[in-house]
Amino acid sequence: MANNNKKEKVLEVNNLKLYYRTSMGEVKAVDDISFFLRKGETLGVVGESGCGKTTMGTALLKMPTPPGYIAGGEIKIAGQDIVPLTEKEIRKNIRWEKISMVFQGAMNCLTPVYTIGKLMMETLQEHRQMSKSEAYDRMVKYLGYVGLPEHILNKYPHELSGGMKQRVVIATGLFLEPKVVVCDEPTTALDVVVQAQIINLLKELKEKLDLSFIFITHDLATEAEVSDRIQVMYAGKIAEIGTNQQIYGEQGASHPYTRRLLAATPKLHEKVAELAFIPGTPPDLLHPPSGCRFHLRCDVAMDKCKVEEPPLVEIEDDHYVACWRCPKK
Amino acid sequence: MKWADIKNSFSDFWKEFKRVKSGIFGLVLFIIFLLIVIFEPLVLPFGEVNDTWRDITYWEDNPKSAQPEWTNFFRSEKLSTSSKLTDPEVHINDMGALKMETVSFKYDYQFSGAPKDIVLKAHGTGNPLIVLSVTRPDGEEIELLQKPLFLEDGSDVRISLAKDSRDSVYEFARDYESRVNVGKSDPKLFDVPMVLFSKAQEGILRDSLSEALKGEYTFSANIILQNENDTMDDFSLIIPGQVYGVLGTDAYKRDLWSGVLAGVKWALLIGILTAIVSVSIGVIFGVVSAYYGGWKDSLMQRIFEIFRSIPLLPLLIVLSAVFKPSLFMLIGMMCIFFWTGPVKTVRSMAMQIKEETYIEATRALGGGHGRIIFKHMVPLLIPYSFASMALFIPGAIVYEATISLLGLGDATIVTWGQILSDALKNGAVLNGLWWWVVPPGLCIALMGMAFAFIGFAMDKILHPKLRTR
Amino acid sequence: MSINKDKNIFEIKNLQKWFPVRRTMKEVLNKEQRYVKAVDGVTFNIRKGEIFGLVGESGCGKTTTGKLIMKLLDPTGGQMSFNDEDVTYLDHHKLVDYRTKVQMIFQDPYASMNPRFRIRDVLEEPLVIHKIGETREERYDMVRKALAEVRLQPPDEFMERFPHMLSGGQRQRAATARSLILNPSVIVADEPVSMIDLSTRAEILHMMKSVQRELNLTYLYITHDLSTARYFTDTIAVMYLGRIVEMGDPDDVIDNPKHPYTQALITAVCEPIAGKVNRIKEVPIKGEIPSAMSIPKGCRFHPRCPYAKDICWEADQPELEDIGNKHLVACHRYKEI
Repeated sequence: MANNNKKEKVLEVNNLKLYYRTSMGEVKAVDDISFFLRKGETLGVVGESGCGKTTMGTALLKMPTPPGYIAGGEIKIAGQDIVPLTEKEIRKNIRWEKISMVFQGAMNCLTPVYTIGKLMMETLQEHRQMSKSEAYDRMVKYLGYVGLPEHILNKYPHELSGGMKQRVVIATGLFLEPKVVVCDEPTTALDVVVQAQIINLLKELKEKLDLSFIFITHDLATEAEVSDRIQVMYAGKIAEIGTNQQIYGEQGASHPYTRRLLAATPKLHEKVAELAFIPGTPPDLLHPPSGCRFHLRCDVAMDKCKVEEPPLVEIEDDHYVACWRCPKK
Repeated sequence: MKWADIKNSFSDFWKEFKRVKSGIFGLVLFIIFLLIVIFEPLVLPFGEVNDTWRDITYWEDNPKSAQPEWTNFFRSEKLSTSSKLTDPEVHINDMGALKMETVSFKYDYQFSGAPKDIVLKAHGTGNPLIVLSVTRPDGEEIELLQKPLFLEDGSDVRISLAKDSRDSVYEFARDYESRVNVGKSDPKLFDVPMVLFSKAQEGILRDSLSEALKGEYTFSANIILQNENDTMDDFSLIIPGQVYGVLGTDAYKRDLWSGVLAGVKWALLIGILTAIVSVSIGVIFGVVSAYYGGWKDSLMQRIFEIFRSIPLLPLLIVLSAVFKPSLFMLIGMMCIFFWTGPVKTVRSMAMQIKEETYIEATRALGGGHGRIIFKHMVPLLIPYSFASMALFIPGAIVYEATISLLGLGDATIVTWGQILSDALKNGAVLNGLWWWVVPPGLCIALMGMAFAFIGFAMDKILHPKLRTR
Repeated sequence: MSINKDKNIFEIKNLQKWFPVRRTMKEVLNKEQRYVKAVDGVTFNIRKGEIFGLVGESGCGKTTTGKLIMKLLDPTGGQMSFNDEDVTYLDHHKLVDYRTKVQMIFQDPYASMNPRFRIRDVLEEPLVIHKIGETREERYDMVRKALAEVRLQPPDEFMERFPHMLSGGQRQRAATARSLILNPSVIVADEPVSMIDLSTRAEILHMMKSVQRELNLTYLYITHDLSTARYFTDTIAVMYLGRIVEMGDPDDVIDNPKHPYTQALITAVCEPIAGKVNRIKEVPIKGEIPSAMSIPKGCRFHPRCPYAKDICWEADQPELEDIGNKHLVACHRYKEI
């Protein structure tokens, strides 16, 4: 953790655009974003509905949900841009090999008619030429990492609890030893206690296997306990990227949206008389507003904000903000 | 749901429907059928066909088993068409004690196949004496018959040459025919009009050897009005040809085009009525069964299974044979069994709807069973119901046709099945009377196809989608 | 509106809801019957005018309790009284009347409204069911009033829309308006904001609070989110596997939890505070939550409790005890922890 700035970038996204073709026009779900992920860190991506975080998540594996498509930009995994690659190449070499995904509601994506062992074996053999015994050993090893015993391989999904199923999915996302793991709301559907256990697990695995995570969620509280750096998205754009300390620390975040989102998040041990909220709704991405996308709901908007879109600027070491109100420190 | 909402959802549906070509085809066919029913009085050649299908006398001027007229298009040697000559030359000679009325018809014969008969129709009173003769294009004059008539006031007169001039025509033919052929012929059975219209030469009595004599024929009737009040007027000469009308005639001389057209409305009625009633019952049954669940659902499903496992056709046959049902009874019986069709699908759709939160919310608001079933569940099933109905219609029509075919249908109305039934009874297939069998069968198929296409198109668009977004 | 400390609008005693489980042949022959004991003896009072929070993880029985209070389910045991009247079992007539007094807001604002109804039809429905209002215009006026109450302005514009034309927050407001239109005294809100964006959540809760003040309402607020519960409720009750384990003032219960389960829950909750990212959180709880079909003997929490001792599985299950300041705990060993 110490020489953070020296660690290489395992994932680099530059000017990524993800659009949806609809009968009413193009919805610019993600509109020109750039960020990176370093080896061994967890980058949290947080935002509300419609901010583009889930779209971005699937796009990182080059699986945009139709009618979405990658309209531009590059996605570099370990230096290789995957955008120009064909689907065949991606399936063979990239997906699950270099980058994998733990889905939202993962518990429900385990086919109920196969045992866990069969499901995992299928994924494994799809990607690697392995003998059955080699595959078996690896599955047991990774089940062990997530704290599940060997006999789980003989069970059917419905025989497992939610937490156990989520662990299975995590094991499946890891056992090809990818460089980057994208987790999309992995704990949202779980109980608080199980959630804490899964978060502990992810932290342990990150340490033990030197993994790099992208952790997507809408819950700011969860992000604080999981992510080294946090990326706040709004209406298809990045509002702020900062370290855990810079966002959640005492001096508070810089971007007005982040500040207000934090103010709207209730803290368990703090008694507040009134909980803050942000009036209005996120903008229509078919016709995004001019200038800064947040200006209509911002309480400190200036005239410039209505007209010109602020670029993402590094205001201090490892801290990026897209706001005219936030000067370099 | 207001009118505006219904209109909106309908126009959305229509936009989708337009894209499915087969559906449009089916719809066009349906519209044609509908127009036929609406404009039936204008389109029917024989307006009273609905009431007179079993009345022989209504059809007596038609040829028997005549082919459709358009078949002549495919022949170089044309068969005689049917015609009615109504404007004869009439002379009345007043000779004191008696009057002599001379009526003559000119008939231009250009065919290769002789008509089936020549019929003189008139209207008269008293005891006139009628002498009929014909002048052929080859100059031969034949006295066909001499007949005294005994008429009440204003009676109809009908003289058929094929029946009444047999002897004189035979005599005429014998003069020209070879001994051999005469020996082979039978004076009681030979084809009178054929001889009349054939060249006077050897072979005249033989169908295969006779040659047609084309030209102008003059048929004259000399009527001697002996008494004061003897009258005869309103003369017409009916010539039933070998071809007739759009679809020909059957063995009972009935115009099949009229019959087929008249059958359209019954087919539509049977199909649509059966479909609407049975689908409505089935949908409500399915929804109620799903809604209540538990033992009520199980009971209803067992009832459903009992009805479902009864073979409909044999039962209908037995019931029809015993009760000789009218059309509506037949429809009723079909409804009693057809309703099982949509039940299973509707039930599973309803079971899913039942789990929706807004159903629970309605219950929480105090809504009762009726409200939930009819205001929240059934409306979601209406699109599927329509698709179902469309697909039931062909089935109902075919069932009725089958029952009629077996002679068990409602004999008071003209349905396509009835026409086919008569055709079978009269050996139409064996005798090669294809125009009696193919048109009604084709119509059954077409109407079935029309609704099947409409139904498939609707089904494609409206198939069980519970989230209507 | 202040809480009437002397008047209980709801008194629940030992409320129970057991669901019979489908039996195997062997069980039928042995005359055995297993149950899912979703709610297994719950006792609490709701004071008039307060917001009572029922908190717990999935499967703890909070939603089932809510449905029992709504009388969408009938209890299999225990008693319920509403305004001093016994409402444990109601005949049809009384039930219809009850429905005008106790209403519900559901978790999923889209699913709780028929998507083919316009908002005006959705809101008019309860009036039609209870035959309130003589003409359609009269009913529409009431709809407008209800929409104004929840700040969906201008009402006429929202009345024309379909649910999918509203945002999540707007839909939940409409759902709230629907629950208000019959002028109830109690509203059961089952996770009303969990499917709504964070930035709008507080707005909805704010609206709910002001509506409560204006109309003298009492809320039963069901949620799994402890943080929101602390902010919103006047009394909080923590449920585990069908029973209440701890109950009291939210500040008291959260800052001073006495039951091991509550302690575990509070430790497990994530907070938006810096500096926690590198720490493994020790949550004082073992194992997984057992099935409600096989509830552990004695204190049902004992298999997972880090402090469990003999008494916990040998004695009868603990009842709620008042430990001062209206703070109740159901634990044999709370004094020693």
